[in-house]
Amino acid sequence: MKRHHLALWALLAVAFAIFAIASAFDLPQIGGHQLKSSQIAETIFGDRADADADTSALALTAPAVADTVAFPVPVDTAAQTILFIGDSMLEGLGPRLAAYAKKNGHRLYTVIWYSSTSEVWGRSDKLESYIARIRPTFVFVCLGANELFVNDIKNRRRDYVRKIIADIDTLPYLWIGPPNWKPDTGINELIAENTPCGAFFLSDGMHFDRSSDGAHPTRTSAALWMDSVVRWMPAHSFHPIRMELPDRATDRADRIFVHQPDEH
Amino acid sequence: MADFSDILANIGERLVYIPTEPLLFSSGTFWALFLIFLPAFCLLRRRLWLMVSFTVLFSLYFYYKCSGLFVAMLAATSLVDWLLSRVIARPGASKTLRRLCLTASLVTSLGILAYFKYANFFLWNLNALVAGNFQPLDLILPVGISFYTFQSVSYIVDVYKGRVAPTPTWLEYAFFLAYFPALVAGPIVRADYFLPQIRQNRTASRTEVYMGLWLIILGVVKKAIIADYIAQYNDLIFQTPGGYSGFETLMGIIGYTMQIYCDFSGYSDMAIGISLIMGFRLAKNFNFPYKSRNLTDFWRRWHISLSTWLRDYIYIPLGGNRHGTARTYLNNFATMLIGGLWHGAAWKFVFWGAMHGAGLAVHKASKPWLGHLGDSWPVRAASWLVTMVFVALLWVFFRADNWHDSWTVIRTVADGGYTAASIAAFASARMLWLILMAVIIISHCLPTGFWDKAAAAFVRAPWLAKLIVFIIVVQLVLELRGESVAPFIYFQF
Repeated sequence: MKRHHLALWALLAVAFAIFAIASAFDLPQIGGHQLKSSQIAETIFGDRADADADTSALALTAPAVADTVAFPVPVDTAAQTILFIGDSMLEGLGPRLAAYAKKNGHRLYTVIWYSSTSEVWGRSDKLESYIARIRPTFVFVCLGANELFVNDIKNRRRDYVRKIIADIDTLPYLWIGPPNWKPDTGINELIAENTPCGAFFLSDGMHFDRSSDGAHPTRTSAALWMDSVVRWMPAHSFHPIRMELPDRATDRADRIFVHQPDEH
Repeated sequence: MADFSDILANIGERLVYIPTEPLLFSSGTFWALFLIFLPAFCLLRRRLWLMVSFTVLFSLYFYYKCSGLFVAMLAATSLVDWLLSRVIARPGASKTLRRLCLTASLVTSLGILAYFKYANFFLWNLNALVAGNFQPLDLILPVGISFYTFQSVSYIVDVYKGRVAPTPTWLEYAFFLAYFPALVAGPIVRADYFLPQIRQNRTASRTEVYMGLWLIILGVVKKAIIADYIAQYNDLIFQTPGGYSGFETLMGIIGYTMQIYCDFSGYSDMAIGISLIMGFRLAKNFNFPYKSRNLTDFWRRWHISLSTWLRDYIYIPLGGNRHGTARTYLNNFATMLIGGLWHGAAWKFVFWGAMHGAGLAVHKASKPWLGHLGDSWPVRAASWLVTMVFVALLWVFFRADNWHDSWTVIRTVADGGYTAASIAAFASARMLWLILMAVIIISHCLPTGFWDKAAAAFVRAPWLAKLIVFIIVVQLVLELRGESVAPFIYFQF
């Protein structure tokens, strides 16, 4: 092996080792910005008990608030101001929900925060501030797709999931679970454990046609996903709202707010 | 904490085929694998056949990681091609037999491509024509099939024409066809350029090794930092056509124009860089295409390996410019039409190719007239602007999901939203997007000499400086990456 090849190999190996070791620790902040980890240590040394978690027990783990609510709950027919927050999955769900909103006289405000997770939302005060600004009467959340494979997720994300739910406070809401493309490490179970009956729609197990990235449902598939949520609501949501089938396939929300991954 | 079996299982999981996670050069998994590959490759370098066998095995594994069991098809195709090429070049083989072998090879290679890539397109059109109800086939497109099929076609045609001698061993041909740096998204490697390098078995010099690293870093910046980041906004515009103001949509179109360049040329830079480290030279695939002042120039600078392939194996066999003006234009148009269809099995790609073909014909036809305009800076600026607008508008058809969406996006540009207030709001909401766009536009405008000097400075820089640059770039990738792996746009071709 020539000396320059050895030097190159050493450069690549040292850099790899630095990122691997750094990923085992909490990275520092620079100018208020939290440095992101390569997750090499998690990938190699992660506990497989979480990876093998079975989400089929979800129905048993959801809080038993059904005692206080008799399903199906009567549909709230009033015009709503809907706030829909979440990650890039809203690109597909949003336009279809907008069509429902338009048809049923609701106002829809969408907040897409790319690459966001429950941790990102839980750490920020954006949800609180949007709720104060828009004063919604119903909140949809779609989060979890970016944390399907986080190890030890229950311990690491429980506080953030609870913070999101606390921010929503007493408003009626529905958390749409992520469209799994592989078994998750427990995000669905975590959300189900921390939301009351009728506030979590489990998307895992549904069939999706995926776009070229293999993760996001295609626009048509995302619209069908939203249709499934809407059909589920009257019998299972703890606060179903009026959602008659729209004439148009998609529409535009009254306002779309977009946040980039690097925002805080 | 995981025990040893968990660690093994975790590593094992990364080493098997995962359909949603092709092995990208900019991924951590490739980085780790390359750390194992490089010393083994260098140690085996002195023994040609060990090096060739090892590289073929690694390339096949690389393809398995990208496309699963289709690796068997790649190996089988290469074997059939090689056997047929040996028969074609056999002394005393009759013309009929040689033609038969050529046809058999072309039918095999192009037939497989046609089946996987165009069968459902054909069925869809047949349904539309005869109001039939033929069910689409449940097909998965093998990654990079269009690239290696073109390599296979060029090899067999060159052997038939006597331009290239067939490789004495299958291993050499498999090395050429499955060479992992260029396997899944080019550049399209030509046998006459590449095959002699195998037997030369030259070790890369220090300059080549660090030039290779420089190209990898440049490619990562283009692909994993700039293209993947600006794609997040561009996708928004194309996912909801008509959902944004005219100004926002215009930014999305310009953004996609830059994204596809950074994505594809970034991948090519990485491929060329990795290959250079291994001691093999791959031809340049992009040469600042957005500096072009006409379409002919654009196609000399964009995806050079494809445009030269189309020229040599479609345009010239069709007659090139040897049968009069009208025929030349027709040949040009037909070549671009095929080039369009090569990009994807959809009418939008056919339209994209046809429009480029028509544009090339118009440019050629108006050359005498354009010559009278001189070469003053207003003429140069106007030529550049017309070329860029044409290219960028056609990228809309390339990117949008369908015909209707394309027109909606283009119509929306005229919808307004060009007020100072909305532009300021856009700038404040999309500051990083604008910064990255500025970086790529400015870097594109810099003279070529600047980049040569920068590369030379990097090569000369101390080891520690190179390490710091590398670490900064990787951390930037981590900071700006999206939630999921963004495949190279050209993977789908």
